[in-house]
Amino acid sequence: MPDTQAAPEPVLSIRGLEVAFETRNGTVNALDGIDLDLFAGETLGVVGESGCGKSMTALAVMGLVPNPPGRIAGGRILFAGEDIAQASERRMCALRGRDVAMIFQEPMTSLNPVFTVGEQIVEAILLHQDVAPSAARTMAVDLLRTVGLPDAERRVGAYPHELSGGMRQRVMIAIAISCRPKVLIADEPTTALDVTVQAQIFELMERIQAEIGAAIMLITHDMGAIAEMADRVAVMYAGRVVEQGSADAILDRPLHPYTRGLIDCIPVLGKQAGAAQRPPPLSEIPGVVPPLHALPAGCAFAERCPLVHARCRNERPVLTRSGHRVACHAAEREIA
Amino acid sequence: MPRAPDEPVLDVRRLSVRFALPKPTLFARRSHLRAVRDVSFALQPGRTLGLVGESGSGKTTTAMAAIRLLAAAEGEVLFRGRDLLKLDAEAMRAERRNVQVIFQDPYSSLNPRDRVRTIVREPLDLMRGGESMAAREARVAELVREVGLRHDQLDLFPHQFSGGQRQRIAIARALATNPQVVVCDEPVSALDVAIQAQILNLLRRLQDERGLSYLFISHDLGVVQHICDDVAVMYLGQIVEQADRASLFGQPRHPYTATLLAAAPSLARRKSARTARQHVPRGDPPSPFRLPAGCTFAARCPRAEARCREAAPALRDVGGTRVACHFPLGG
Repeated sequence: MPDTQAAPEPVLSIRGLEVAFETRNGTVNALDGIDLDLFAGETLGVVGESGCGKSMTALAVMGLVPNPPGRIAGGRILFAGEDIAQASERRMCALRGRDVAMIFQEPMTSLNPVFTVGEQIVEAILLHQDVAPSAARTMAVDLLRTVGLPDAERRVGAYPHELSGGMRQRVMIAIAISCRPKVLIADEPTTALDVTVQAQIFELMERIQAEIGAAIMLITHDMGAIAEMADRVAVMYAGRVVEQGSADAILDRPLHPYTRGLIDCIPVLGKQAGAAQRPPPLSEIPGVVPPLHALPAGCAFAERCPLVHARCRNERPVLTRSGHRVACHAAEREIA
Repeated sequence: MPRAPDEPVLDVRRLSVRFALPKPTLFARRSHLRAVRDVSFALQPGRTLGLVGESGSGKTTTAMAAIRLLAAAEGEVLFRGRDLLKLDAEAMRAERRNVQVIFQDPYSSLNPRDRVRTIVREPLDLMRGGESMAAREARVAELVREVGLRHDQLDLFPHQFSGGQRQRIAIARALATNPQVVVCDEPVSALDVAIQAQILNLLRRLQDERGLSYLFISHDLGVVQHICDDVAVMYLGQIVEQADRASLFGQPRHPYTATLLAAAPSLARRKSARTARQHVPRGDPPSPFRLPAGCTFAARCPRAEARCREAAPALRDVGGTRVACHFPLGG
C-alpha cells in the first residue's frame, strides 16, 4: 500500500485544481484548490454529499468539464509527468479511454441504445489500438467473458435494453478496461443497482484491478462502499478536500467534524443487530451545504460545525501536510 | 372504536396484484404479470413494519395495493375491522384521512405551482371536515412548525427548498388529516446521508408523539434496521421472511435474507481487514414473466437442493420467525 515513507510516484497527481463556472450569480468555484494523489494498484475513495465536487473532479481529469459555462481555472493534473489540465482536445482524445477511463453511474444512459454492446466495445478498441476489426470483435467477446457476462458469445450482439442493470454495468466496465487503462475513474458505479448486484460489481472491480494494476478513483456518497472498497479516502465539502488519509484512519479516527458527522449519521447495518430495544436517534449534521456562490470567507463548514470558533469564520483552514491530512482549525488544535 | 392493544391497525390478508400484459396478437388470451402473490402481514399500532427487497420485488406494489392506490386482484385489507378493498368510492375517500402516504421523490411529489401553505392544506380542503378556513390555516401553521420549517416559509414554492426540506413539506401534508397509518415509500432514498438522518429522526419523533403506525418501504437495510420494529423481506412478489427486528437482523432464517445482509455495504466492515463480501450472490433474480416452478430463489441459493426446484415452500413458523424455505438457516 502506498505510504508516506515508501513515497512511490503517483500515477495521477492533482495540484491546486480549480474549476470555475459562470452563473447568474457570478463566477463560482465548483472546485477550489483540490490536491489529490492516485497510486498504481490502489483504490482512492472520494466521498461527500451532492454538490461537493466529487463528479466535477472526475470530469476535470477526463477533460470533460462542460465548457462553457465551466472551465479549468487553475492548478495542474499531472498524468505520467504531463499536465493534462492544459492538454489539447486532440491529446485528450488519445488519452481518454486508453490511459484514463471512466465508468459512469447510470449504465442505461451512458450506453448508446441503437448499437449492440459488441459494437460499442469494438469502437473503443479500434479507436485506440491498431488491430483488425475481426480481431477487435474477438477481443470484445473476451472482455465480456472477463467481466463475467454469462453467455458472452451471444450477448455480444445484444442491445443495451436487452440486458439487466448489472449486466449493462459489466459492459461499461468491459469498455473501460478494453485498453488496460492506468487510471480508472468510477463515478457512483453501483448507485443505480441493487445491493446483491452491487456486491458483484465491487468484486469484479477488485479482480480487474488486480489483473491490470489500474489505480481506481471510486466516487461515492456511500460510506459503506468506502469501507469495503477504499485503501485511502478523500472527503470533499463545498469544492474542497477537507480530510484525506488511509481508509482505516478516516473511518476509525476521523479528525474533521464533517467527516465525523457523516460517519455518525449513518445507521450502521450489523451494529447491535440482535438488540430488542429501538436504537437511539441518529446524530444529525444540522443545516445544509451552503450554496457555492455564497460561501463564507472562512471554513465552509463553520455554520454547521459543533466545534466552530471565531477563527473558523475568518480564516480558511488548509490541509495539513502529514499522512492523515485535515483542513480544520479545531482538529489542528486537537492534534497539537 | 375500542380495540385490543395488540389488534393490528392494518391487517393485510392474502393480497395479490396482477398487471395485464399486452396481447401478442388480437385474439390471443391476455396474460398477466403476477407482481404480488398471496402476501399477508399485520401492522401493529404505534409500530413500524418494514417492507424490504430489491427492485422489482413488489414492495411498493404491495403497499400501494394495501391502501387502494392500485387495484388488488385478490385478498382483503382490514383497517379497524373494515375491508378497505370492499368499500365504495365515497366510503374509501372518507377513510383516506386515516391512511396517508409519503413518497420517495420530494422533487416530483409536490405540485411546483403551489405554495407550501396550499400543499399542506390541500388534504384538509379535500376532506371537507367542516372546519373554517382560519382553522385550517392555523392547523397548517402548526404542522409546518412541527416538521421543522419556519412560519415565514409558508408562502414559498417547492423549488425554493432543498430535498430534505421538501420531504418535510411532504410529511406535513401527510399528517394534515391526523392519519393513523402512514405509508412511507423510500422516504429517504433520494436524500444525502446527513439529511437522511434528520428525516429519520423526525419520523421517529412524530411517531412517538402521535402514536403513528408506519408501513416503511426501503431497500436500505441499515435504514430498516434503524427505524423498523418488524420487517418483511420480499422476493419476486412474495414475502420470504418476516420477523421482528432483533430476530431478522440477529438471526436471519432465509438464505435470501442472509444474502442481502452479507451483500449490503456496512461501515462495520473494513477493506484492510478483508471482511468484505464473503458470500457474493450469483446471478440476477429470475424474470417475473417466467417464474420457476419451485422456490423462486433456488437458482441463486447456496443451500438449494432438488426439492427446492420442485415445490415452492410455504411460509411457516421457525423459532418465532415466519420463513418460506425448505432448509431455513439455524432451524
